[in-house]
Amino acid sequence: MTPQIGKLILFVGAMLVAGILVMTRKAWMGALAHGWPSVWRIAKMTVAEARRKRVLQAVVVLVVLIIASLNIVSYLSPVEQARMVKDSGLMSITLFGMLLSIFVGAFMIPHEIESRTIYPILAKPVRRYEFLLGKYLGALIILGVIVAILTVVLVGVLLLQAHVIGVPQAGQPDSKFDAAIPAVIFAAVMSYCALAVLTALIMLISAVSSTTMTVIGAILLWGVGSMQSMLYDLSTKMVGASRFVLWLFYHAVPPLQDFDFRTNVANGIPIDAGAAVQALGAGLLYIIVALLFASLFFENRQV
Amino acid sequence: METVLQVEGLTKVYHSLLTPVGVKAVDGLNLSIRQGETYSMVGPNGSGKTTTLKIILGLIFPTDGKTTIFGKDISDLSVRERIGFLPEDAYLYDVFNGEDLLDFYAGLFGYGKQARKARVEELLTLVGMQANRKVPFRECSKGMRQRLALAQALVNDPELLILDEPTSGLDPAGRHQMTQLILELKRRGKTILLCSHFLAEVEEVCDRVGILYRGKLVGEGTLRELAGEPTEIVISVSGMRSGATKQLAALPTVVDVGDGEVRLGKATGDQLWAVLQALREAGGEIQEVTKPRPSLQDVFVRAIGEVKE
Amino acid sequence: MRRSRLPWKIAALFALGVYLIGLPIQEAIINRRPEQYRVNAPGSGINLAAISGPTPVLIAALGGFRTVAADLLWLKVDNLWDGGAWYLIPPVMESVVQLDPHFILGWQVYGWHLAYNLNAESVLQTDRRAWLEDGIAVLKRGVALNPKSFEMTFEYAWTLFDRAHDLYRAADAFYYASQQQDAKAYCARMYYRPFEHLLDFDRLWPAMKWAQKQFPDDIPHQKLVARDMDWWRQNWNNKAEHRKQIANENTARQQRAVPFWLYPNDPYWNVCPLCGLPTEKGKPVCENCFAWNFELKQPVRPAQAVR
Repeated sequence: MTPQIGKLILFVGAMLVAGILVMTRKAWMGALAHGWPSVWRIAKMTVAEARRKRVLQAVVVLVVLIIASLNIVSYLSPVEQARMVKDSGLMSITLFGMLLSIFVGAFMIPHEIESRTIYPILAKPVRRYEFLLGKYLGALIILGVIVAILTVVLVGVLLLQAHVIGVPQAGQPDSKFDAAIPAVIFAAVMSYCALAVLTALIMLISAVSSTTMTVIGAILLWGVGSMQSMLYDLSTKMVGASRFVLWLFYHAVPPLQDFDFRTNVANGIPIDAGAAVQALGAGLLYIIVALLFASLFFENRQV
Repeated sequence: METVLQVEGLTKVYHSLLTPVGVKAVDGLNLSIRQGETYSMVGPNGSGKTTTLKIILGLIFPTDGKTTIFGKDISDLSVRERIGFLPEDAYLYDVFNGEDLLDFYAGLFGYGKQARKARVEELLTLVGMQANRKVPFRECSKGMRQRLALAQALVNDPELLILDEPTSGLDPAGRHQMTQLILELKRRGKTILLCSHFLAEVEEVCDRVGILYRGKLVGEGTLRELAGEPTEIVISVSGMRSGATKQLAALPTVVDVGDGEVRLGKATGDQLWAVLQALREAGGEIQEVTKPRPSLQDVFVRAIGEVKE
Repeated sequence: MRRSRLPWKIAALFALGVYLIGLPIQEAIINRRPEQYRVNAPGSGINLAAISGPTPVLIAALGGFRTVAADLLWLKVDNLWDGGAWYLIPPVMESVVQLDPHFILGWQVYGWHLAYNLNAESVLQTDRRAWLEDGIAVLKRGVALNPKSFEMTFEYAWTLFDRAHDLYRAADAFYYASQQQDAKAYCARMYYRPFEHLLDFDRLWPAMKWAQKQFPDDIPHQKLVARDMDWWRQNWNNKAEHRKQIANENTARQQRAVPFWLYPNDPYWNVCPLCGLPTEKGKPVCENCFAWNFELKQPVRPAQAVR
């Protein structure tokens, strides 16, 4: 895509989105204004419910112990040690966050319908989209708290190891333990943003299917989103119409790898802030579309 | 009196891959409930009672027909502020205690903190759960759960209450308690739509009854209207001579002579007097003469039997 | 009961608008993050099908955790090293760098192991040359995939200087490494060392002057350069003394490496590792591949052959 064509497409897309937002402003402004108290109450209730689930507490403790145990690997050089701890720690946060987001998201709407706890709520003056948004917001808060806890533990492990290993020896580049705390925190925050996108997609699937199908669909989505770069490579290696179709498909898959900065942290590659901002923008648009369709599907779902 | 709930021509057909033709759960149902009335829908399992309730509440969508509450569609939020719903089997969040649950549901109506607190207190007192307010829902007994579920249905002091099997799974004491609560609500002027299998409780509580069978309303009216005029006279008697049974059975209008009981069909005063004389001559002591109306159970069985034919 | 289709139509249009906005944004992200999206670029030499490893490694790789898969294999390399299985290390190291092409230490150790350890272990001259060539080729690939990494380019330059004794190319490589961010002062000094060894006085003095201009605030560096410049000023005409000193050092090198005079004009050293075509002197990657992979994202000359 040449820059000129890119700008033209961006302009057309922006005009379309802006036009629709202006035309429907009364509807969505009213919906947001009226619905916010219910959305917030449902979000708080979702968080309170998750806090009381013993299984979730046990799994969080387990992952904390896994990250804390990264302290033990000590036969490598400090450079290698730093890379391993940062890489494994961020992988644990991403992997556990992904699993958590799948199960929290999958057990939200389908489970509420199957266990019929949704009946008393929908009989109250709560719109279906308010319920869905409240559940999503609750899921985001749960994920945010857990990712924050795990990040704090990882940072603690890195600081402890940096303290134990001490100052690097002059003339020995291998002896430097580069904790890179700001980069680690940044990568964890971006992982959380990827989880926000994934959770929105899971809400979309859960609005139309059962718990089991939602879990399966969510795992597939995560798999496809994680292989974004491979899809891109495949499209560059093809020719003609199939290349164009794959290129279009590639741009529709969840942009999860845009938020993946683990390679940068592990290898000390400078982080491009502009790319991060663009990823956040694209991710936010993706979330809005996913939740919009989830609301529409849920409005028409027979519970 | 204002019509609170109006259902016209309601039809619901369930389709699936295995049943492409579809299963008709509700078939052309017409219903009208006035303000202050207690109306009960009775019917065997699969007759469409719960489906009808779910359509009324907007949980599922009808294939045809129209439902209005207070003259408006259920999608209008102002309607839901005036109704309360007790679902079958009390589906509430089991990790919370009663106090937190009621506080949450009250919050959905926009009550402030103080108002919520007062309302929760009032409801816990009404349903008798003040002592167990901190017990998590999953640790509550069946009776406690039903009472909490009723409390959440009353959190907004609704004008229309929809109760789906409120006494299901309760022991006799629990059923009695629940029935008394419903009567109390009735006394307070609530309009109540009740679905139940327990016909005795329906007889106790309801003004009008609708009998559903295979999605159709096969009978509707007050208990008196449904039961009709009494067609039998029952004479309770004791100390009759054995051997007098044949003589008594031969008398006109005598339908059945049992142990301690003689049943007559439609009888004039003279015919009744003749039977009473014969009983006295047979050495019997008359205990009671009654003209019982058919019970709701009898009406129910009769109505369904007629449909089957 | 029919429900309105208008919200669906509006939502579909909105989604189309968002998709159109997303197209150029995603392309921009791809261009800004070559370490994420250009890893498997055509001609990069990275071929994930070539990865071999235990099942957990493959699962980690497929799950999008390539760097973790590389770490697991790195631990395996450590175990092989401790076990003395030197000849089993190269295939595993190849998988490591395929999985994480930006793992500089991996490239460094891989190239060093071939060019130094396996080279020294070998007896036949042909074998020694082959291991050295392989090691330098590996480092060249590493530079091609990490052209802005100082550590990577310095490792390549040092191996050319210390092991292959390819002094002119080493000088060019040291110069290139000195241009990178985080370049160290010693690299600037290494630029003129090859000219000292070669006794190329035409290039030596300008090189020393250039090194003096680098790192003006680094006092030790300035002192060392000044010391070298003073020495050469004093011994400029005492070439015999200097020849003796360099000859001693060369002898030590010759005992370790394949003698450089055996392949002075080998065209292999002038070839771009990505496209297989000649590179300009002093550049580890040809201009075309550099532009396509890391800079402009389009060719500066008409399309060239791919190896």
